[in-house]
Amino acid sequence: MTTGISRSVPRVDAYDKAAGITRYIADIPVAGVCYGKLVRTSISRGTILDIDVPELPEGFWFISEGDIPEGGRNRIHMIKEDWPVFTNSEVRFYGQTIGILVGPDREQLIALADAVRVTYREQEAAFTIEEGLACRGGALHGDDNLFADYCLVKGDPESAFSRAHRVIEDVIETGFQEHVYMEPQGITVEEQDGKIVIHASCQCPFYIRKAVAPSLNRSLDDIIVRQAVTGGGFGGKEHFPDIIASAAAVAVTKVHRPVQVIFDREEDMCYSTKRHPSQVIFKTALDSENRIIGMDIDARINAGAYESCSPVVLQRLIFSSNSVYDIPNVQLRGRAVATSTIPSDAFRGFGAPQGIIAAELHMSHIAREIGMDEVELKRSLMVSKGSRTITNGTIHETVKLHEMWQRIAEVSGWHEKKSRYAPGSGRGMGAAFYLHGGGFTGSGEQDIIKARVRMVKRDDGIVEILLSNVEMGQGLQTTFRKIAAQVLDCDYRDILLADPDTDRVPDSGPTVASRSIMIVGRLVQLAAEQLKHKLHEPGAQESEAAYTQPPGCHWDQETLQGDAYPAYGWGICVIETAVDPDTCEVETLGVWTIHEIGKAIDEAIVHGQVTGGVIQALGYGSLEKLELKDGKFFQHTMADYIIPTTLDFPGVYSELVENPYPYGPFGAKGLGELVFDGAAASYAMAVQHAVDRTVSRIPVTPEYIMELKTHG
Amino acid sequence: MDSITFRLNGTEVTITSPGTRRLLDVLREDFSMTAAKEGCGEGECGACSVLKDGRVVNSCMVPVGSIQGCEIVTLEGLRESEQGKRIIDAFVQSGSVQCGFCTPGMVMAAASLLAEHPRPSEAEVREGLSGNLCRCTGYDAIVRGVILASREGEGL
Amino acid sequence: MTDSYYPKSLSEALELRRETGAIPFAGGTDLMVRFRAQAGTLPKLPHPVLFLGHLEELRQISMDSSGTHIGASALLSDIGVSEHVHPMLSETVMLMASPPLRNLATLAGNIGNASPAGDAVCSLIALDASVVLASLSGERTLLLEEFITGPGKTVMKSDEFIREIVVPADQPDRYWYRKVGTRKANALSKLSLSAMATVHEHRVQDFRAAFGAVGPVVIRRRDLEAQVRGMTLDQLSRETEGIVDAYRPHIIPIDDQRSQAVYRLQASLNLLRRWIDLLMQGG
Repeated sequence: MTTGISRSVPRVDAYDKAAGITRYIADIPVAGVCYGKLVRTSISRGTILDIDVPELPEGFWFISEGDIPEGGRNRIHMIKEDWPVFTNSEVRFYGQTIGILVGPDREQLIALADAVRVTYREQEAAFTIEEGLACRGGALHGDDNLFADYCLVKGDPESAFSRAHRVIEDVIETGFQEHVYMEPQGITVEEQDGKIVIHASCQCPFYIRKAVAPSLNRSLDDIIVRQAVTGGGFGGKEHFPDIIASAAAVAVTKVHRPVQVIFDREEDMCYSTKRHPSQVIFKTALDSENRIIGMDIDARINAGAYESCSPVVLQRLIFSSNSVYDIPNVQLRGRAVATSTIPSDAFRGFGAPQGIIAAELHMSHIAREIGMDEVELKRSLMVSKGSRTITNGTIHETVKLHEMWQRIAEVSGWHEKKSRYAPGSGRGMGAAFYLHGGGFTGSGEQDIIKARVRMVKRDDGIVEILLSNVEMGQGLQTTFRKIAAQVLDCDYRDILLADPDTDRVPDSGPTVASRSIMIVGRLVQLAAEQLKHKLHEPGAQESEAAYTQPPGCHWDQETLQGDAYPAYGWGICVIETAVDPDTCEVETLGVWTIHEIGKAIDEAIVHGQVTGGVIQALGYGSLEKLELKDGKFFQHTMADYIIPTTLDFPGVYSELVENPYPYGPFGAKGLGELVFDGAAASYAMAVQHAVDRTVSRIPVTPEYIMELKTHG
Repeated sequence: MDSITFRLNGTEVTITSPGTRRLLDVLREDFSMTAAKEGCGEGECGACSVLKDGRVVNSCMVPVGSIQGCEIVTLEGLRESEQGKRIIDAFVQSGSVQCGFCTPGMVMAAASLLAEHPRPSEAEVREGLSGNLCRCTGYDAIVRGVILASREGEGL
Repeated sequence: MTDSYYPKSLSEALELRRETGAIPFAGGTDLMVRFRAQAGTLPKLPHPVLFLGHLEELRQISMDSSGTHIGASALLSDIGVSEHVHPMLSETVMLMASPPLRNLATLAGNIGNASPAGDAVCSLIALDASVVLASLSGERTLLLEEFITGPGKTVMKSDEFIREIVVPADQPDRYWYRKVGTRKANALSKLSLSAMATVHEHRVQDFRAAFGAVGPVVIRRRDLEAQVRGMTLDQLSRETEGIVDAYRPHIIPIDDQRSQAVYRLQASLNLLRRWIDLLMQGG
């Protein structure tokens, strides 16, 4: 029986959600509302020559660039000034916002939007990484189409390659992935007491504030963002709500009525951001005894038409591209390539899954080439405490992967099955090892986010936590309360924690990067410890905690050298598959996982994250094919873009190993993304074993397996 | 416009509406019953599930003119029943709820399933919920919730 | 003007169909997707619809000496568990869509929609099923293969609708149904095979194979089936590749958002080969 903070409790939000009482943004009626419908470009690249808007009935407006308030910027501030709010000239991708039609009747809005006629001068566009690198149609960004171009060197790769006995080359590719949060994007914007109030299904209320204020030429305090109950995010509600909110906020300043934009699912699938497709090219140098002595890595991601957060995604990808292995000599180049597709953006894992899938598959291919057991090869190279990372930083913690492997090999029957299933027999086993750095990459927490958490004891004695991280399904409403309650020695249900309102809460940063528990939860713990001393003093009392970098962590953002992350979560995922000899359909027979996340704040919530993350990753690895055809997504309904149902995968075995982290709350580290990072690779390797062919891309669809079996 | 009479959560109601209007919109807009959600609008996700004559259906696929005389139960009605309370409670106890957007539909699918199979196997639960998509949980905790509800239904 | 009609009886439905030309609407799970509405708007149906799902006389599933009669508005969920229904059709139906959709959808809808990927159509054609079309002028019965003429195209006249589907009682001894869907549940077909046969004393007496989603209509080649009939199992074994090659030119799938032509062809032929293997093993 688990005791202490890890012991599971009923989630505070569970009853109202299960009883259908909880109201999401589309469930809340707004008096006098105007619905908003975005009008978008229907070409991928070129210039708008004319926008012909039909005559609008009374009460309808078409809002575009000319309606941006005086002094307002037609650029949405993300990490920097980025996508235009509205384009009226340059078109960089299919589905770019031209304007927003607003009015009281949705039937009429659709008809009016269909009647807008836009004429263009079309230009040749680049859609793939290769086309982007070749600057097809002329560079879209700078003169080389690169939003970022990074180099890393560890050890002496040049000398390693000069003494190489052989070099094994590999190209690993991953595709787009759509988030499919069950609740589509939605916001309502209104004016209140001269301020602009934005209710949003979102992950980052302060991001929206920062994005919208410059467009309206208003101060940050004039924009209030209130998080609405959020029906899933997975990264898809990190920056994308900025896009809708900016357009709707401009409309509100013009029509002076509430404007609501709720996406239809097809609209959401066609026009929201996706996970970055990737292509990672490896050259690995082996000595005469087949020992890995060096690696050359060329990683590229398809960033789409605007920068968004692509450089940061690329950083996480390249920092994860040696995964859990200590490769002695490495040279790496990483590039974020501009193309005329919708800008790629955050998605659970934020580049790490692409890096880890590439590393895991490449290591397994090396093992196949040299005739070695892939797990033995991997285990011989695993990092341990004190190991040097690809950024020449240090692993500061004890790494428990070997004992975790013993355990997961036992429960999955790995050794027996691996010896029983001959390669190509139709049955296969895969094992992926992975890690995920908690919190922002590099010095982001210290230099950019500077998180703060406030806690108050009110006059009536009730304690309230004030912070900006959102509940979006991952359980923060419960886990933050548990952390505070553990310190204050009270019932977690007696602590208040409202959905964030930027007018009330300090900025504890965005709900991203597996940082909420490890970074913000720690601040909750510290604020509670401070408040505890004043708890019995009369009247209202307050405490505040601010982020400080753990001692011994050093990072140089200019050179990308040092400790990219203060601490890591660790995981292993084993998968057993059977491949149908006729149709190449894959039956997943077993999924076993073991994770080390420091300490579980609530075991049921942790296992829920594990199962959800693993199944989402298995969808990515097997079913979720998203192709571009002439710049548009070919799969754009839930009937065509396939996510897993109850029947696609069996139950997930999930075990945890403790290894408390001194700078996380009660020892906890990051969790939400780690559990996504390995399953797709494990699945690909299980299929690889079952069909005895080299699997080099995901998703591993039956079509791809058939192609491998036919052509080798 | 047609006059359409049906039973909603045990009460006879009559509305005036175009017959092809989606039951989902009628519930949400005319009756302010928002437990049923729109997740896809094409019968794929199950977030809009309600019971029609005791069986789970996608309310986004049902034109209101086709349900004359039918018995429609939404989660607003089900949650008042013993069975509804038992399923909701089992979901809370089993950690079946994450973002919650799919959950009302899951509860309705569970009610329909348990009416047909009072003591389902795990395979039957997975089959019974296979028209309801969830992106958060990976389903295991929801399956456990339905099994727990079925056991409590027998007083175990 | 109304957008829908709600007849009280079959005869009223036939009258409304003739007078208004309204679209027959049984379960609506195809029409409501094809003419999908966004929240707060009406489905974009091109014509008024004629609701038929509630008519008791169209919901019956019964059996007589001629075979099983499945009413146009019988729900898939009822067909899937009916003791009167051939097991291949039950299996097919229970692999269609999802539980909530099967509680709305009907066979008549799947047939009337005439999609090449309609799963029920594939098995019904293998079962030699017929369609009974009703109008005020009377009824006519057609083999399902004759009823569907192309993707989305049927010979149904503007005053007719499907009253029932009839599956003959006399069927081959063995069947094998394989749906290759986009996933394991709630999936559209990439391809499907509905195969049947009777093998008696090491000789093939009946042989049928219908392929779904690999051509403009379900592909069933009675000419090729006739060539297989009468073969001994030894002959079948020797001729397997010849039979597979004979089917190859008739399997003409396309690339689309769900799969690829090259895969669909290869997997279809592999399944045909597997079916022949199964016959030899079970012979």
